[in-house]
Amino acid sequence: MLISYRWLGRHVDLEGTTPQEVAEALTIHTAEVEGLEPFAPWLADVVVGHVLECDRHPDADKLSVCSVDVGGAGDGNPLQIVCGAPNIAQGQHVAVARVGTVLPGDFKIKKSKIRGVESRGMICSVRELELGEDHSGIWVLPDGVQIGKPVADEADLRDWVIEIDNKSLTHRPDLWGHRGIAGEIAAIQGRSLKPLDLTLPATEAGEAYPVRVESEACTRYIGLPIDGVRNGPSPVWMRNLLLAVGQRPLDLLVDLSNFVMFDLGQPNHLFDRRRLSAEGIVVRQAADGETMTTLDDVQRSFTCEDMLITSGGEAVAVAGVMGGEGSKVGDETGELLLEAASFLATPVRRTAARLGLRTDASARFEKSLDPTLPEKAAAHMVHLLRELQPDIRLPRPAGDAGSWKDPACEVQLRCERVRSVLGAPVEDEFIRTTLTRLGFGVSGEGTLTVQVPSNRATKDVGIEEDLIEEVGRVYGYGNIEERSLESVLTPAPHDARRNLVRALQDRLSGAAAFHEVMTHSFQSEELVSAIGLRDEPYVEVVNPVVESEFRVRRSVLPSLIGLLELNRRNRDEVRLYEIGKGYRIDEPNERGEPRELHQLALAWIRPRSGSERFGESGIQLMRGVVEDLFDHADRVFVGWEPGAREAAPPWAHPGKWLTAGPTEEPHAVVGELEPGLAVRLGLRGELDGEITLAEISLDGMLSQPEAQKTYRSIPRFPGVKVDVALAVPESLFAEEAAAAIERAGKGLVEGLELFDLYRGESVGAGRKSLAYHVLLQSPTKTLTDKEVSKFFSRLEKETESLGGELRRE
Amino acid sequence: MSPEELGQVQAEALGRVKGAAGAADLLGIERDYLEKGGVVAKILASIPSLAPEQRRELGSGANRLKQAIQKAIEEREGELAAEELERERKAQGFDPTLPSAQPRRGSLHPVTQVTRELEDIFASMGYAILDGPEVELDYYNFEALNIPKDHPAREMYDTFWCDRNNHLLLRTHTSPVQIRALERFDPPFRAIVPGRCFRNETVDASHEHTFHQMEGLVVGKGITVGHLIGTMKTFLREMFQRDLEVRLRPGYFPFVEPGFELDVRCPFCEGGCSVCKRTTWIELCPCGMVHPFVLRYGGVDPEQYTGFAFGLGLSRLVMLRFQIDDIRHLMGGDLRFLEQFGC
Repeated sequence: MLISYRWLGRHVDLEGTTPQEVAEALTIHTAEVEGLEPFAPWLADVVVGHVLECDRHPDADKLSVCSVDVGGAGDGNPLQIVCGAPNIAQGQHVAVARVGTVLPGDFKIKKSKIRGVESRGMICSVRELELGEDHSGIWVLPDGVQIGKPVADEADLRDWVIEIDNKSLTHRPDLWGHRGIAGEIAAIQGRSLKPLDLTLPATEAGEAYPVRVESEACTRYIGLPIDGVRNGPSPVWMRNLLLAVGQRPLDLLVDLSNFVMFDLGQPNHLFDRRRLSAEGIVVRQAADGETMTTLDDVQRSFTCEDMLITSGGEAVAVAGVMGGEGSKVGDETGELLLEAASFLATPVRRTAARLGLRTDASARFEKSLDPTLPEKAAAHMVHLLRELQPDIRLPRPAGDAGSWKDPACEVQLRCERVRSVLGAPVEDEFIRTTLTRLGFGVSGEGTLTVQVPSNRATKDVGIEEDLIEEVGRVYGYGNIEERSLESVLTPAPHDARRNLVRALQDRLSGAAAFHEVMTHSFQSEELVSAIGLRDEPYVEVVNPVVESEFRVRRSVLPSLIGLLELNRRNRDEVRLYEIGKGYRIDEPNERGEPRELHQLALAWIRPRSGSERFGESGIQLMRGVVEDLFDHADRVFVGWEPGAREAAPPWAHPGKWLTAGPTEEPHAVVGELEPGLAVRLGLRGELDGEITLAEISLDGMLSQPEAQKTYRSIPRFPGVKVDVALAVPESLFAEEAAAAIERAGKGLVEGLELFDLYRGESVGAGRKSLAYHVLLQSPTKTLTDKEVSKFFSRLEKETESLGGELRRE
Repeated sequence: MSPEELGQVQAEALGRVKGAAGAADLLGIERDYLEKGGVVAKILASIPSLAPEQRRELGSGANRLKQAIQKAIEEREGELAAEELERERKAQGFDPTLPSAQPRRGSLHPVTQVTRELEDIFASMGYAILDGPEVELDYYNFEALNIPKDHPAREMYDTFWCDRNNHLLLRTHTSPVQIRALERFDPPFRAIVPGRCFRNETVDASHEHTFHQMEGLVVGKGITVGHLIGTMKTFLREMFQRDLEVRLRPGYFPFVEPGFELDVRCPFCEGGCSVCKRTTWIELCPCGMVHPFVLRYGGVDPEQYTGFAFGLGLSRLVMLRFQIDDIRHLMGGDLRFLEQFGC
C-alpha cells in the first residue's frame, strides 16, 4: 500500500519530523515499510518556462519553434525548443525538460535538430511526466508560477511515497487508509490526531432511500442520495495526493470516491441515481449466468456465489469489487447515490479471485472492515463535497440496512501480565497513556478495563495478549533487555532415527565417498511412467505448480533415478544418496494421514571395466556399502537373499537383484538398473555405465536389534595363511565353494577372502576357478604342518564332491 | 708370523675396507679375512705348530687383527649408510608443482551442513530436535495454529493441497510441529524442528516451492520477550562467531501474539550491500510469543505457561553462508554443485 507523506499531514501535524523518521517509526512500531521514495523525482529537474515566442516551423506544418524563457535555470538566454503540441501558444507557462534532464523511462533529453532547426529541450505533456494520461497537448501551468523554478514546487507536487508491505497489514483493517496510519504516527511520536468531522449531516425529511439486503454476505448497506452535484475536474490538491499514491485523477466524483477510500480505508461507490430504478437498491446473490458490464468495460458472468448490487432487477455493481458501466457517474451526473457498505471478507475474496479482478476495494474488504466505518465514510464524502459545492442537497434520509453489530468490546488487561510477558519494567502509567493514544478507552488500576473501539476490535484486538502487543510495540521491542533462559537441564529425548540418519550421512559422505542430494518430493508423471510405477497409489497435489508434478513420492529411489542422466552426462562415476520420506496414501491412519516411510536411496554409476579379468561388480560393491552401513549404525544385518525374477522391483534387473529382510518390507534391496529402463533414460551408448541402485528402509533398520560390539581377544597363537583355488562347474555358487572350505577347516578357518575369479582354457570349458586367501588359526595352539596338510586333503575331497578339483597355489 | 707381518696384513685389510664401495665389497672382505678359511682363521690354524711363547703372542695378535678389521668394517658400513642417505637427500627430479592426488571423497548437502550446525548449537542449549510429517493435516498446519478456514492469513501461505476437501496438504511451514510437540511433551521444554516445507510458487533463481525451515519452540513458566531476544542473540553469536545486533519489529503471524520480525545487522557489510539490499538489516526470522489459543490447542494452560517460537529460514541461511545465488541448486541434485561441499 502506498502512503503519501503530505496526505498524512492532513491528519497529523508533522512539524519537526521527516519522511525518513516516519518510515522508520512505522517499521519499528507498526508495520514493515518496504520503500521510501520521493514522488516523481524528475519533477525537481523540470522547470517552469515562459513561452516568449511561438512560430511555425519553416519546414513542418505541425511543429512550432518556440523561444522559452527559463529564467535562472538557463544561461540567461531563452531556449529555442521545437514543439509538436497543437495547444502551444505564446505567453503560456509550461513544463520544460532541459538538455540533460532524465524523464521517466530513462528518457534523457538531448540537444537535437528537428527538421533542420535546433531544439534545446522539451516542453512536456502530463503523460511524459507521468502525471496523467493526457497526451493531446502540452501541460499548461496556471499563471502565477515562478519562471525557472522546479515544477515540483510550483505545481505543488513535492511529496514522499511510503510503501507499506501489505502482508504486514493483514490483521489491521484499520490501517488501509491515511487516517489510520496517521493515528499510528500520532501514538508513536506523541502527537495528536487532527479532528475530523465524521458525523453525517442532517438530511431533508422524508422516507429513507429504499435499500434491501437479501444476502448474508452484506452486513451493512448505506445508500445516501445527494442532489445538485456538478461534476468537473477535482481540486489540484486532491489530484496531487491521488497521483502520489499512484492513482490516476479523472473527474471530481471519481476522484472524491477514491480519495475517501484512501483517506479512511472504506471503499465506496457513486451511482448516477437517474440510471437506477426508483425502487432503490437490493443486495442479493447473483443468479447463475447473470451478466453485467463492469466499469472496465468487460462483460462479466456471475454464479450464485457472487453478490450483486441490483436496482430494478438489474445488476448495477459487483458487491465489494467493482461498479457497473451502466450506472456510472459522468459529466452530466447531478443526482448521486452514495454507497458505503460492509461485505464479508471471504465472499468478496472468492468473487474477486473468480473474476480475476482484484481491486483496491476488494483488497480492503478482504481484510474485514469495521462495520461502523460506512457511515463515517459517507459523512466524510458529504463534508468534502460540500466544501467544494456548498449548495448540494441531501434530499432524503439514507437507507441503512443489514444485520451488522458493533464489534466494540471490553478486554481486561493486567499490568503485571504486560510486564511478565514482555519481560520489561513497563509502568502502569505508560500502559494507560499508550492505549489511550492508540484510541482505546482505559479505566481501572492494576487490572485495566480497556474499551476496544470498533475499528480495532475488527479482526485484531480481542484478548489480553493483543493489548500486550499494543503496549509492547509502542514501548519498543528494542528497549527490552535480553535475558538468558534458565532451567534445570535434562537430557533431550533419545531420537534413534535422527542418530541413525547422522550415522548414515557420516559414513556415506565420508568413507564411502557418496554425495548427498536433496530432491523435490514430487515425482513427475514422465519419470514414474518410465520406471513403470505409474499404477501405484500416491498422495496427489490437486494444485501443482508444474502440470506434470502432482505425485508426492512414495519412495525416494525414483527421484535418484531421475538424476542419473544429468550427472552421468557430466561425470564418468556418480555416487549419490538421498535420505527422505515417502508417503503411502493407501495406508492411512485413523486420522487420514498417509503412512510415512523413512528411506535411504543410493545410486552408483561406474564405468564398465570392459575386460573379463576378475573385478568386483557394482552389485558386490553396493552390497558392501549397505552391509557397512548396518555395521556402522550398530544394527544387525539379516543377510542377503537372491531376488526372484518375477518379484523384481520395476527398476531392477530381474536377474541381478538381492533383498534383505522381510519380503513385504525389506530392510534393503540392491540391484542393477533394469536394462530397458537404462535405454529409456538414455543411459546406453555414450552414457553407458554399470548402474547399481539400492533402497534401504530406515524404519526396517531401526526395527533390527542393536549389534553389541564386544572385544575379542587378540589371537595368542600365530595362524597359517594359505591360498587355495577351486576349479568348479560354472553353475556352482561361490557361497557353496566357501562353505566347502569352512567344512574342510573344521573350525580353524578364521579368515576367508575371494581374491580371484578366473575362467579360461586352463580351467576348462563350463568351469571357473575361485581363488581364496585362507587364514587357518587355532585359539589354543600353534598349528603344525601336519594339521595344515590334513586341511588340504579334506578340502580336496570336499571339492571333488562338488564336481570340482582343488588347485593348490 | 711376525708382528711386522701381522701389521702388514692388517694394513692391507684396512686399506681394502677403506676402499670398499658398498655392502658387497665389505661382505667380500669379511669372507677373505674373518670367515672360515679366511686369513685370520689360517693364522690361528698355524698357532699349534709354534713355540709356546710365540703361540700367545700370535694368538693375541690375531685377535687384535680380527677386532681391528671388524671395527673398520662397522665404521665403513656406517659411512656408507650415511653416504647413501646423503645421496637420497641430494636426489634430483622432484617436481613440486605436480598436482596433488586427492583422496576420493563424498559430500554432505549444504542444507545438512547448516542444519547440523544449528542443531548442535541448540542441542547444546538443551533443545530437543523434533521431526514432523511433510504431508500434514490442515488441523496442524492451520487450524490449531489459530488460522481457521477463511482466515485472510491463509493467503500468505500458498498451499499445495492434497485433496479436494482441503484436509491434507503439504506443510507450508514447520510450525505444525509446535502443536505436535505441545501434545507430546509437558512443559517446560525447548525444541527445534528442522525440515522441508512447501509453497505453491513458480520456481526461479530466488523462489523455490520446496525449502527448509527450522522451527524453535520454548514453553515454560515466566518465558518473556526478553528470553526470545536473548536466545536469538546467543544463537547468532554461535553461528557467526561474533556479536550481531538484532532488532524486533512488529510482524503478523496468527499463531504468535505479540508477533515479530527479527532482523539481524548484516554480517557481510558495513553500510549496505547487495545481501541486505543496502538496508544494513537482514530479515532473519518471524517469531513471537506463542498465542494463548495455540497453547490451548496443544493442551497447555496459557495462564500457567508462556512461550516463544521462531521460524528460521534454513535455505536462506544456507544461501547466505555459501553465497549461493540461485536457490534452484539446492534441490537440483547436480554433482557439479554438490561436489563443492565435500567433507
